[in-house]
Formats: sequence, C-alpha cells, structure tokens
Amino acid sequence: MEFTIRHDGREWILENEEAVLSSPTMDGLDQKVREYIHEKGLLRAGEKLEVKMYFQNSTIPQWIRQYSQHYFNRILVVEG
Amino acid sequence: MTDLANRKWYTGMLTQEDWWAVWLGVGFFFLSLFNIVGIDLVGWMTYPTKWVLNVPEGGKGAIGHAFYALGKKYSVTAKGFYKGLGWWSVIWTYVGFTIATCLGAFFMKWNMKRFFVGWTIIYFLTIATWFVGHHAFIAANKINMHKYGLNFALNLGGGGSFILALIVGLIIGNFFKPFAQFLSEAAKPEWYIKTAIVTLGVKLGYLPIKLAGMSQKLGKQAAGITFDLFVAGAAATIVAYMIFWPGVYIISRKIFKLPRATAAVLGSGISICGVSAAVATGGAVKAKPVVSIMVSALVVVWAVIELIILPGVFTHIWPGTKDPLVAGAAMGMSVKTDGADAAAGELLDEFMRNKVEVESNGAIKWPEGLITSSAVMTKVWIDMFIGIWAFVLALIWCYKIECKPGEKVPASEVWHRFPKFVIGYFFCWFFLLAIYFGPGQGGAPEAMPFLKTVKAGAVPVEKGMRKLFFMLTFISLGIITDFKKLREAQFGKMVWVYFVALFFFIIPVAMVIAYLFHHGMMPPNIAEFVVK
Repeated sequence: MEFTIRHDGREWILENEEAVLSSPTMDGLDQKVREYIHEKGLLRAGEKLEVKMYFQNSTIPQWIRQYSQHYFNRILVVEG
Repeated sequence: MTDLANRKWYTGMLTQEDWWAVWLGVGFFFLSLFNIVGIDLVGWMTYPTKWVLNVPEGGKGAIGHAFYALGKKYSVTAKGFYKGLGWWSVIWTYVGFTIATCLGAFFMKWNMKRFFVGWTIIYFLTIATWFVGHHAFIAANKINMHKYGLNFALNLGGGGSFILALIVGLIIGNFFKPFAQFLSEAAKPEWYIKTAIVTLGVKLGYLPIKLAGMSQKLGKQAAGITFDLFVAGAAATIVAYMIFWPGVYIISRKIFKLPRATAAVLGSGISICGVSAAVATGGAVKAKPVVSIMVSALVVVWAVIELIILPGVFTHIWPGTKDPLVAGAAMGMSVKTDGADAAAGELLDEFMRNKVEVESNGAIKWPEGLITSSAVMTKVWIDMFIGIWAFVLALIWCYKIECKPGEKVPASEVWHRFPKFVIGYFFCWFFLLAIYFGPGQGGAPEAMPFLKTVKAGAVPVEKGMRKLFFMLTFISLGIITDFKKLREAQFGKMVWVYFVALFFFIIPVAMVIAYLFHHGMMPPNIAEFVVK
C-alpha cells in the first residue's frame, strides 16, 4: 500500500487515491493507518502489509530543494 | 501514484540539479577533450584581465582587451580565430552557457521564461562585476601595479571581483526584494557551485599536467599533493564529525534547552553541512518540515557571514601563508554550505597567493586552485557522509529514541541522499590523472606535445568556466540571502545557538583538526617558471 505524506504546518497528512488520513503526530498517524487497514479488511490474521509513505517534496519551499531534493520516505509494517 | 512510488536508483538523472551539475561539468569537459584530435570546441570561453582607463607607455591593461577568449592563449589549432573574438567572447560564452543551462532548466521543469530572463540578467550583471573587479586598482598588487601606471593598488587579485559580486547580490537581495524574487528562478548558488566543483575536478587533474610543462618533477609533486589532500580531507572530516555533532547537540539541549528533534536538526545544520544536512536530518528524525526550513534559512545567512569574515581572518591572522592548506581545510569544515565554502575557499586562494607573492617580493608563487581544493575536498567528503549520517540517525531515531512499532528505514535512503555532483568531480579528476600517467607518461618531455593538446581543452573549462560559475555563485548567494531572516522572532534561541556553536566551538575545533591533518603540506613554488 502506498501513500504520499506531507505536513501542512499543523498535521501530518497521508493521501492516496482511496483515502486521506491525518494526525498532529506521527504516532497518531500510524495508529490511523492501522485502523484504516483493519476497517477495510485489507489484512488477514498472521499476514503483514508494508505501507510505503513517500514524502511530498512540494511541502518544502523551492529555494531549499536546491540544497536537498529529498526529505524522507518511510515504511510502516502492519501486522494482521 | 507519484513518481516517488516508482523511485529507481537512476531516478532524478534528468530532473535534479545535482545531476545537471554533472552533465554541465562533464559535458564541457568532454567537449574540451576534442582538442586531442585537433578540434577546439571550448576556446571561446571568456576570461577577464586587469585593465586601466589610461594605459602607460609600454605598459599593460588596454580596456579593449579586458575580456578575451581563452583559446587565444591556449588553443593549439584555432589560436588565430579565438584571438579575433576579444570582447565578443562574452557573447559566445553567454550563448554557450545559456543553451546548456536552459536545457537543464527545461528538464527540471522550471519556469523557462523566468529562468531565461533571470539568467540573462544575472549573467550580464556577473560580467559587469567581473569587469569592474578587474580594474588594476582593485586586482593588481605591488609587484605588478607599475605595469598599469599605478602607485597604489588594493592587492585583492581575483578576490576583488568575488567580493563585488557578493555585494551586488546582497544589495539586490536586501534592498530590491521584488527584483530578487523575480531573479530567484535563476539565482541557484547550489547548482552553479556544484557545476564549478565538477570543473574543479578538471582543475585538480590538470594541475600535474600544467606543472609538468614547467618541470617533470613539479608535475609529480602536484599529483602527490592532490592525493595527500584527498586522504587528509577524509581523515579530518571523520574526526570532525565525531566531535562536532555531539558537541552542538549537547549545547542545544543542555544550554539552550531545545527539543530533541530541533537539537538534532540544528546539530547537523551547524556542524555538518548546512542546509543539505539540516533537511536530511529533519527527514531522518521525522521533524516537522518547518524546523528544517528555519534551520536552513539560518544556515544560509550565517554561511554568508562566514564567507565575509573567514578568508581575511585566515589570511591575515592565523594560520596565514605559513599553512595555507590548513586554512583551506579549516574553511571546508567551518563554512556550512557548498556555495559559501567553495566561494570562501576561492577568496582565500586569491588572498593567500597574492599575500605570499607580495611578502616574498615575487620569489614565491603558488599555482592557483590548490587552496580552493583543500577547502572543497573536506566539504566534498562531508557531503558524501551526509547520506550515511542521515541513515545512521534515522536508525537511531527509529529503533532507539522514538521507537514506533513496525517502522522500517529503507537503506536506499543512503543513495538518494548521495551528492551526485561528487561523481562528476572525481570522474574529471581521475580521468585527467589517467591521461597524465597513461599516454602523458607522467609528464615525460616526449609526451609534452600531446599534453599540450589536453591543456588547450582543460584550461577554458578549469579556468574560464569554473571562475564564471564561481562568480555566478557569489552573485546568486547574495540575491537569495536576506539578512532580515535573522531578525525574525521565531528564530530567537536558534540564532544564538548557531552563533555560540559556530564561533566558540566549530571554527576553533575545525582549525585544530585541520592543523593536525594538514600541517606542513605546502603548494609547490612555481615562481621560477612563471613569466613576470
């Protein structure tokens, strides 16, 4: 499962074609991802699902992107 | 999904400035190699020379010759043609580099119209500044000022042009903000400096070839000293890392009571490599982007302040001309952006060479570029370590400090953060070294005609293109540096952490480490081989 991740100054926001999830903290965000996956029945007991989060670089101002065009990507492993 | 989801190892080769610095530097380097088969495709690159309004009888400095095509001096096959270009070389250079940079801007999906207009303005401002900075009153020293009919000169060498370029940029950036904003599409100091650093690789590789033209022994000595810089730079950087980061982190946490993530980002920004490290660390510890943005703004402004202060201090107070490469290496570890560091290194190079020539009454002359190289070498090592450091920090944060169940750190982060322009820098350097030790036979007299063709191509790139991109860097740095950022209230404590850490910890420690690893290394004296 893949999302883009960004920060709007108040909250971390995960987004893909099917869902938008947000939370002020990264832990809260991870918790919402787990809940979303379980609610949607995307994972059976004993299975593992990798949730890839790709940072939306447009969050960073253009003048900083010349120094570093990469902020972070992360992977969350959710267990069924 | 987005491009990011399909990220491969080669992603960004056509869309990132880092890679475009490689394509520009290596592209023109390859064009220069056509000289080996008798075709000079780079001799049009322009270069300034000292001038005065009233040339003394039998003296030098006619304004009509203030800019010339480097092929006029160095071309083997087209000297006559390039001699005729004179000031027109400025337009040839504009056309050549406008095509190259616009190509880059196109692939990087920038606003082409704004880039083209901005680039054109910045280019001609640069040329105008370069011209003024080469007035003999600014650029000459007491050894050669009489040739221009002067009894006093400022002794600044080419450094005067750099200072002027920075001043012009800062005036635009701080007093004409809407204009600076308009130019920002083309004011890219990091792109220009990374391109200049790739051509510095050409300079390093060319140095033994140049000195072999004076004596074979000098050529080998030059090859040796560049390797020494390579090794000493790596060792010094590793030691600096071990001391700098924990030191700044502790200052931020214990004295200024900053939160952990902020202290980590600030630690990297101040101690390692400025903006790139601040952004990389921000990502590694998952700090809110605003933290990295604030630290980055601080880094840029403080780096320019260092650029203004340190070259003069290192030249005239300590270590001076006794240890020029110590000064260069200390610069690389102290100034926190590639642009400001390489620019400060170049200024230091000009100041030191000028000073030693004047002090020795012309008996000592150092080849240009070695002191710049010592400043850039430590910085290049630091740049390469950023990716690894960000990865290590991400692991520590992920598994030790803020453990989040299920989170993994992708190892590919190291490659994505690797500074790609470094590849171009080392490629050009080692390619020319291979030519020097291979078909160039280590500078043997029988190989000199061949090496002369290599020189004909290398000089326009390592001299004309490199200096032009340095000038572009100085002026662009000024344009994007807004000192008002330091006054903005939200920085408060961070400004002071930066000040204390930089001047009372980073710079003194950098000087000690640079001394330990570079003390005793000296540029070769080429005075007896240089025509006065």
